[in-house]
Amino acid sequence: MCQGSCQGAANRPNMQPTYPQATAFPEFAALVNREKAQVDRRVFTDEAVYRAELQQIFARAWLFIAHESQVPNPGDFIRTTMGEDDVVVVRQRDKTINAFLNSCPHRGNRVCMVDAGSKARGFICNYHGWSFGIDGKLRGTDGKVYETDEAFEKSEIGLTPVARIASYKGLVFATFDPNAPDLTDYLGDFTFYLDIMLDNDEGGTEFIGGAIRSEIDCNWKLPAENFVGDILHAFWTHQSGAQAILGGGVDLGKRYDELAFQASVYGHGIETNLDKVGNTRTLGYPELVDYVFDLSERAVERLGELRARAIGAISSATVFPNFSFLPGQNTFRVWHPRGPNKIELVSWTIVNKNAPDHIKELYRKGVMMTFSPGGVFEMDDGENWEYSTRVNHGFVTRQQPLHYALGLGTEDKSRELPGHIHKGSLNDANQRLFYTRWSEFMEHDNWSDLQNGETASPKKTNIAAE
Amino acid sequence: MSDVLDITSTFDDLSRPTDAETERAVARFLHAEARILDREAYQEWLEEFIDEDIHYWMPDMETRNRSDPRGTFRYGDTAYFDDRISELRVRIARYNEPSAWADNPATRHMHQISNIEVFETDDPKLVAACSVFTNVRNRNETDQDVVYGRREDVLRRHGNGFRLCRRRIFIVQNVLLSKNLNTFL
Repeated sequence: MCQGSCQGAANRPNMQPTYPQATAFPEFAALVNREKAQVDRRVFTDEAVYRAELQQIFARAWLFIAHESQVPNPGDFIRTTMGEDDVVVVRQRDKTINAFLNSCPHRGNRVCMVDAGSKARGFICNYHGWSFGIDGKLRGTDGKVYETDEAFEKSEIGLTPVARIASYKGLVFATFDPNAPDLTDYLGDFTFYLDIMLDNDEGGTEFIGGAIRSEIDCNWKLPAENFVGDILHAFWTHQSGAQAILGGGVDLGKRYDELAFQASVYGHGIETNLDKVGNTRTLGYPELVDYVFDLSERAVERLGELRARAIGAISSATVFPNFSFLPGQNTFRVWHPRGPNKIELVSWTIVNKNAPDHIKELYRKGVMMTFSPGGVFEMDDGENWEYSTRVNHGFVTRQQPLHYALGLGTEDKSRELPGHIHKGSLNDANQRLFYTRWSEFMEHDNWSDLQNGETASPKKTNIAAE
Repeated sequence: MSDVLDITSTFDDLSRPTDAETERAVARFLHAEARILDREAYQEWLEEFIDEDIHYWMPDMETRNRSDPRGTFRYGDTAYFDDRISELRVRIARYNEPSAWADNPATRHMHQISNIEVFETDDPKLVAACSVFTNVRNRNETDQDVVYGRREDVLRRHGNGFRLCRRRIFIVQNVLLSKNLNTFL
């Protein structure tokens, strides 16, 4: 190996990872009118806005990439995407998890062609046989032809790792921004609500094997905003599914006025009715309802009474930008952007690790029956989001305002809960804050502004439920 | 000897093709079923074509290395369908609601069935049938979804005809190139 004296050494490529820099797009930030609770439709169809999203949001935000249970042993891996970037998530020999861009630094081909695998020793590019360890480092090239070139420096070459990777209670997140704040700072007080799903019992959670992947011709923000706070659509969109499973319409519980609320932190949001088992009931298996009632009683000690009521309640949540879940129904999903007009939806079923096997099996079937492409609820969502996207190709149509103004003036400062709290789950508040967060990402080129804007959690002196 | 009704069992003995008359009768059954599904006559499908002990399974198809012992699909993992009669009834109850918006206005369906092969099993009441399908759904003006796949059916002789007891559906898509599956395959 040449130490720098050979003829070619001076022209050796610089193979250091390159992470993109954010900038500012004030004209796009202004597409969200915070004063008037309006969103400009160009956010759903404009190519330039979409390219800015990849740079400002998907190359910077902490994105969900895996559940730890998907890669239990060294060499276990899954392939996913962060924005449109193909990524391999691999358990390392020291049991940590790392993630790399799925692209060979030689000619760029994918080094991993499969969805998942176990106990891999590495990844070999099919093109020229460049071989990488599970640590991402280049181990060798086919026939050692490169190795015989005296200017070649193998140790400088590897798969590009994500800039930062971290876990929160079993969920693995990564970011391409070396300057991103810690994951727990990015999630902020929203961890209080994540724990409803992730920490309601000893032993934590796991994903059931496999994943359902499907394509929807819609902008990624429409499903994300739907899960962040739109229980309203359930009454109309899902009347048929509710009728089929429950024999009646959606019911938010007798104590709606007193209990239901929306909470938002940094654009992450949850709406819940605290009705205990409303979501779980829609899976159609009474054994699951009994399980959640018992769980909820046990969980009072871990989570306090309020969050214990939320475990199976009618509720939904999104972690900004594109990771959503339904407490009680246990579907977890990512809306991967594929251009402004298309997403790939990947969805999983999450269960408590120590739940009995027959309960896990019923969750698997219940999620399939409700929130999968053939499920009686998800069935009716896709077309709404597709046409909410597609009609905006009309030149005049896309100049018309959109109304996000349900629940103006419903902010509730009396409840000692983390985040921006609004009364009632039937409210556009979380969706407004989701787009405000979107606007902050467009506006700011630095995390200091990003973490201290309007969407940051209001300062509260006493969080009683903690 | 494998139990052909077990959803995990493969057709490992396809050495005994049925007589031509049985084969024609099975083809008639599968073609009639396709026609009924094209008409969205789901209640009729349930009553005239489906056995009370139905197990109807369509796994998600993963892309895996050939050497991966897990394979492309595995029973017990996530699936599109893993239904018994009670689950099929729930799905059909939704179709019967006027507010099933993904089906109102109506979808135009076409189920094309071919490559039908029919074999005897160790149980004289049961036959094994392999087939392939093309399913086309078209909605509104230009929304079109096409799903291709193979099926492994076990049919029970019933009067002069058959009832479907077990169906394994293997689509060729990894990412379902559709927003939903508002049909049976």
